[in-house]
Amino acid sequence: MTTTTDGGRTAATVEFEHVTKIYGAAAAKRGSPGAVNDLSLTVPAGRICILVGPSGCGKTTTLKMVNRLIEPTSGRILLDGVDAATRDVTELRRGIGYVIQQTGLFPHQTIGDNVATVPRLLGWPKRRQRDRAEELLALVGLDPATYAGRYPAQLSGGERQRVGVARALAADPPILLMDEPFGAVDPIVRERLQNELLRIQEQLARTILFVTHDIDEAIKMGDVVAVFRTGGVVEQFAPPAEILAAPASPFVARFVGADRGLKRLSLMRVNDVPLEPAVTARVGDDAGDARRRVQADPFRYLLLLDADDHPLGWIDQDHVPVSGPLHEELIDSTSPLLDRRTTLKDALSMLLDDAVQAGVVVDRKGVLRGLVTIDAVMAVMRQTAVDTGFETELEVDAAP
Amino acid sequence: MIGFLQRYGSELADGLVNHVVLTAIAVGVGFALALVLTLLIVRWRRLETPIVAVTGTLYTIPSLALFALLVPITGLSLTSAEIGLVSYTLLILVRNMLAGLDGVPADIVEAADGMGQTRFQRLIRVELPLAVPLIIAGLRIATVTTIGLVMVTAVIGEGGLGQVLLRGFNLQHWDLVYGALVMMILLAIAADLLLVGTGRLLTPWQRRTATR
Repeated sequence: MTTTTDGGRTAATVEFEHVTKIYGAAAAKRGSPGAVNDLSLTVPAGRICILVGPSGCGKTTTLKMVNRLIEPTSGRILLDGVDAATRDVTELRRGIGYVIQQTGLFPHQTIGDNVATVPRLLGWPKRRQRDRAEELLALVGLDPATYAGRYPAQLSGGERQRVGVARALAADPPILLMDEPFGAVDPIVRERLQNELLRIQEQLARTILFVTHDIDEAIKMGDVVAVFRTGGVVEQFAPPAEILAAPASPFVARFVGADRGLKRLSLMRVNDVPLEPAVTARVGDDAGDARRRVQADPFRYLLLLDADDHPLGWIDQDHVPVSGPLHEELIDSTSPLLDRRTTLKDALSMLLDDAVQAGVVVDRKGVLRGLVTIDAVMAVMRQTAVDTGFETELEVDAAP
Repeated sequence: MIGFLQRYGSELADGLVNHVVLTAIAVGVGFALALVLTLLIVRWRRLETPIVAVTGTLYTIPSLALFALLVPITGLSLTSAEIGLVSYTLLILVRNMLAGLDGVPADIVEAADGMGQTRFQRLIRVELPLAVPLIIAGLRIATVTTIGLVMVTAVIGEGGLGQVLLRGFNLQHWDLVYGALVMMILLAIAADLLLVGTGRLLTPWQRRTATR
């Protein structure tokens, strides 16, 4: 049942089975629509599942039903196949990490004590509590020697949020619930915290349910994304690339935004595009031969390499001498170097800025691998896009 | 000055000790009772209105009248004095304790619940420590008020320094009257400072903020 990941640590599946939440007993009897309606979805173990949607769509309610801060009106939530409702509520919660936007750090406790909250509840020996707190502070990038003895009020917002994440991870829970964890920090800090969470998740591979209203955050962070519509209905549950390429409904298309094509670019990497060969020559090679080869090619630039095949720059075909050796002074322009992990968004942005509209892709040692062209990017985008049939409606919506 | 101390020193010291004991019992018992009442309110919220109403009513009874009322029941005794003194502390203490507990931010309560603290653990480890500043503020008012009221219990034969003052008044020994008054004022100031210090010791997190 339980999926073992690296280091023998575990993650759990989270299954929602026809879960409905209607606030107020009277409303439930009347059969009023609930905050969450007949929700069924399965979050695979060890993945980040993003719950995203406009405010009032029931995403936070859904999250809080997992650790039973809110009890469902009907339906079941299974954690690794066990109905959460059958478990002792405090014991259940101690096994689920919980991070909230306002951090909820205890102002009267030091950072070290805050992080050790759940280990202390579980009755770990003092020494182990302290070691664990220090280990986790280091994991989230806070030096334990500096921070363990401080109080929350002495930290910046971003630091407090890191402590919140460390505290949630303290007892090594298989499931982590995060309610808009980075919603209250500025965009630069948010970006850094997001990257750190992804790095930590790569190491720990927990099952993470993550609530946000920010579609860009959802696309960046999610292995799978559940797009909620007001009224607690999931419109689409799919990996981010699929949501962008093939929105399941006009609502999803509208929610991900008219720029979803551009967002897809940020999910795809140079690796996904077939590279094209370049006409190349090394410094010192015969110019006459290079000139003949570049003039025979439809692309009008020669890429000059050094002796180790590191790209140096472009020479326009008209500027390649008829004879003599090639040298660096002939270079007309240079292009930024891309590696295979560069996102297509960044790559395309560089291409648009560049005189020679071809991206030079190099491997880790800086050796030329090939070229990325705008045409090749477009071709890949076209292949992976699906005709949803509501493009027209989108255009109407987008008109001023 | 030396003559004054030789004449009245032991009398004033006895009065002071007695005053401190009367105050300590009153505030101590009042604190315990108020804590119980507050926890009852936290557990059953609908108790708030009746409890606040009763303690509020007790607070409005003039002190002299209250002591007079008690004498037929409990006699000219320490019990009578303490019943009166304790009832006056209740309103202030219950109100401040409640305000302190209710003032704990919602996100902190939610985090405590979400991490699996029981209701009791949340109260002991989170809510009460965070209510300390307001509880101390309540104790300061209650203590200083009680020190003043202890003097009134002289009418039923208690009174600590109040008894000394009354004697000085009857004998027309004005220096004794002033001596008792000054002692009482010093006691009030000392008690207040002691509570402020205790509060600071109990809330280290409040001092160490904004160092960056």
